[in-house]
Formats: sequence, C-alpha cells, structure tokens
Amino acid sequence: MNRRNFLIVCASLFLNACVQAPVFKGDGYAFIKSNYPVVSINGVEVEPSYTVDIEAGENSLVIVYHTYRYEYYCTFTWIAVTGTAYEVTDQDNKYPLTLYRWIRKNSLWASRLDPIDPLSCDQKQKP
Amino acid sequence: MINTSIVSAQEEGILPGLSALSESDARESAIAFVNMTTSPGLEGAIIIVDDDTRQSEQWRSSLGFDAEFTLKNQIFNGYWGLAIVGGRIDDKMELIGDNGQPVHLDLTRDVVALRGSSGLSFPIDQHFKLRPFLSLVFADLRSESTINGLYDNDNNQTILSFNSKAQLLSAVVSVDAIYSRWYSNYRLELSAQYNLVYTEAVSEDNPILDTDVWNSAAQLESRISGPTNLSFAGRPWRWSAYANFTSFLSHNKSSLGYNNLMEIGASLDWQINIKPLEWFGWQSLGFRVGLIVGEKVEGYNVGLLAR
Repeated sequence: MNRRNFLIVCASLFLNACVQAPVFKGDGYAFIKSNYPVVSINGVEVEPSYTVDIEAGENSLVIVYHTYRYEYYCTFTWIAVTGTAYEVTDQDNKYPLTLYRWIRKNSLWASRLDPIDPLSCDQKQKP
Repeated sequence: MINTSIVSAQEEGILPGLSALSESDARESAIAFVNMTTSPGLEGAIIIVDDDTRQSEQWRSSLGFDAEFTLKNQIFNGYWGLAIVGGRIDDKMELIGDNGQPVHLDLTRDVVALRGSSGLSFPIDQHFKLRPFLSLVFADLRSESTINGLYDNDNNQTILSFNSKAQLLSAVVSVDAIYSRWYSNYRLELSAQYNLVYTEAVSEDNPILDTDVWNSAAQLESRISGPTNLSFAGRPWRWSAYANFTSFLSHNKSSLGYNNLMEIGASLDWQINIKPLEWFGWQSLGFRVGLIVGEKVEGYNVGLLAR
C-alpha cells in the first residue's frame, strides 16, 4: 500500500468514526446529551452530567448555561420517545439553550430536528 | 516612436521619470489588496472604483466556514474557521510624468490564499459575547503591470511591462464583540470587529515587495432576521436584512482608491441545522444579495453564505 492510499484509508477511518449511533440503556429508554451540565432530573438534583439515560415519557430536566455574569437554569419538559436521542445546545436562539431531536444521518453529520424551547430560564447572578 | 520592453521589477527598480509613483505606493497597494481580499469577516464582493484618474475593478471570493464549538467544563467556547480565498484587481491609473506628460498605468493583481482561524468565545451574558481569535493567512500574489508614456534616454515614448510574484504570510489578531437579542420571532444582531494584521512578504523578483507591514481594519455589522412561510425538506427559511460598514484604518486611500465601504443587502437563509463530524453546528445556508457604496466606489455582493 503506497503512502497516498494509506492516508486515504486513515482519513476514511477517521471520518467514519466521527458520528456514532447512540447507544440506549434498554427498551423504554431515551438518551440525551448536552453541551452544558444537567443538574436536575424530574425534580431530583443530580451530579452535573453531560449525558443522561432517561425513561421514555414525560421528563423534566434542568440544565445550566454558564456565562461570566449570570447562570441560566433552563427547565425542559417534554415527552421523550423510546429509542430516541436528544441533544441540548446553545444556538443563539430565543433562550440560551435549545433541545433538539438528534438523528445520525451518516458517519459525517447528524441532524438537529424539532427544536423545543425551555419552559423557562431562570437567570441567577454569579456568586 | 514607441518602444516596448518587458523587464523584471528587480532590473528596473524605481522608475525614472515617474516620481508620482513611489516604492511605498507600490508596496502599500499590493499589501492593501491582499488585506482587502483575505481579512477575516470579509465576504465575496465586486467593487468598482470610478475616479477621474483611476478606474479599477476588484473582486474577492471565499469558500469557507467558521463556527463555535463547546468546551465542556468551561464557560468559554472554542472558535475555528477555515477558508480558501481568491481575489483580483484590474487597476487603471492616469499619472503625470516628471516631464508633465500623461502616463498610463495598467495593473493586474491576482491572489489566492488559505486562511485558518482559531480562538475563544467568551459569553458575558445571554446576549453579549467577546470573541478574540488569531488567523494565519498564506497568500500567493501575482502582479502584472504596464506603464505607457514614459520617455527613454532618446526621448522616445516607451511601454514598460513588469511581472512579479510574492508570497505573503499574515498573522491577524481579531476581536469580535457580538450582541444579539430576540424580539418575538425577530432576531437583531450587532457586531464590531477589529483586525490587527502583520504581514511578512517575500518576493524573489520584486524587492519592493520584500517587506513587512502592520495594518488594521474595523467592521461594524448589523442584521435583523425573521421567519418566512417557506420550507424545504422540512426545514424553514428565514429572511434577513443587513448593513455593514468596513474601514481599512491604516491604508493609504491611494492604495485601493477607498478606505471605507458600506454594504446593505438581504438574504434568504435555509435552516439546515446539522452537526458535521459531531463537532460544531451548521445552522443555515443562505443566498445573499448586497449593494456596496463608498466615496467614488460602488459594487455588489451576490453569493452563498454558510453560518
């Protein structure tokens, strides 16, 4: 294998590994990944986490968006569908954070669909 | 009698009989053209300068993308950008020779450049963020010029042609202050960007371009966007209208024929909203039409815009 083909194979392997299909905890579960820490699940405070397995059905998550002046505690309430991946990110939308249904389209990119705004984002002055 | 000769710039040096065109004029003109084409934040445009003694047509175009990406456990985000940039200028000037005769200068420059940017984005609050970043630009510049109207030692009119090549490496320190706010379904975005550019140029055949230069440029941008009833492949379209002001702060006005440009326009943006390589968000792909105005300058901007 010459150097050029080797580089092509390496680049293909790298690109193929970019977008992985989500792994679910089991039947009846959905999966959420967040660019910002999840601090509360269905009213229960949890250790800040960026990936969470949640049971299908109505869920309520609090996720914190940090800035240098304030922290925004954003509450998302929605009905999670079993075997579905969700993603929370900041996209300069109306609220600091937005929840999307996340679908792996291929090894190169994923789609963000069906945006859901938080019910509220409570702004708190940083200590 | 008209003599025609092709010489290299190195052989000729400063042109005798044309003190109206100094070395620094030629140097600043070349660097200003490269900066005008490759500076971060500038997009495609065709710019026409129509002055009494100068007519020039310039275009610049870029194919690139920039985006923020999240750094977990940090308040700040990362920022990166990559672009291939191209540009051309056809510049025709009427100068006065030392004997008082008119001298015609036809200048064509082509530049191709690769620009990479990397930096951080600091959200001060929900609406306001500061984004400092560093860009490295490698540019390959080709110039062809023809000077018609100088006299040789035998008092014959001559046509002189020069060709030169130069490679330029620029380091650009940029600070972008961005404010955005939503009013119902309409989003207002205001930004101010300052670029400090250090350029190191190397030329084997034109010592005038063997130089290093500091420059600076500033941009003010405003944009308002709103929803439409259109959708494609399940994704909505949004309209936007914008007004931008760009000032090449340190350029001599004679370098390009202008220092300040104002652009107003509109775009239609398809909300593609994908996440390539599981790394950064690509929110929209838009078609933009803009009008550029300035003192004795006009132009337009038609093209695609990825955000």
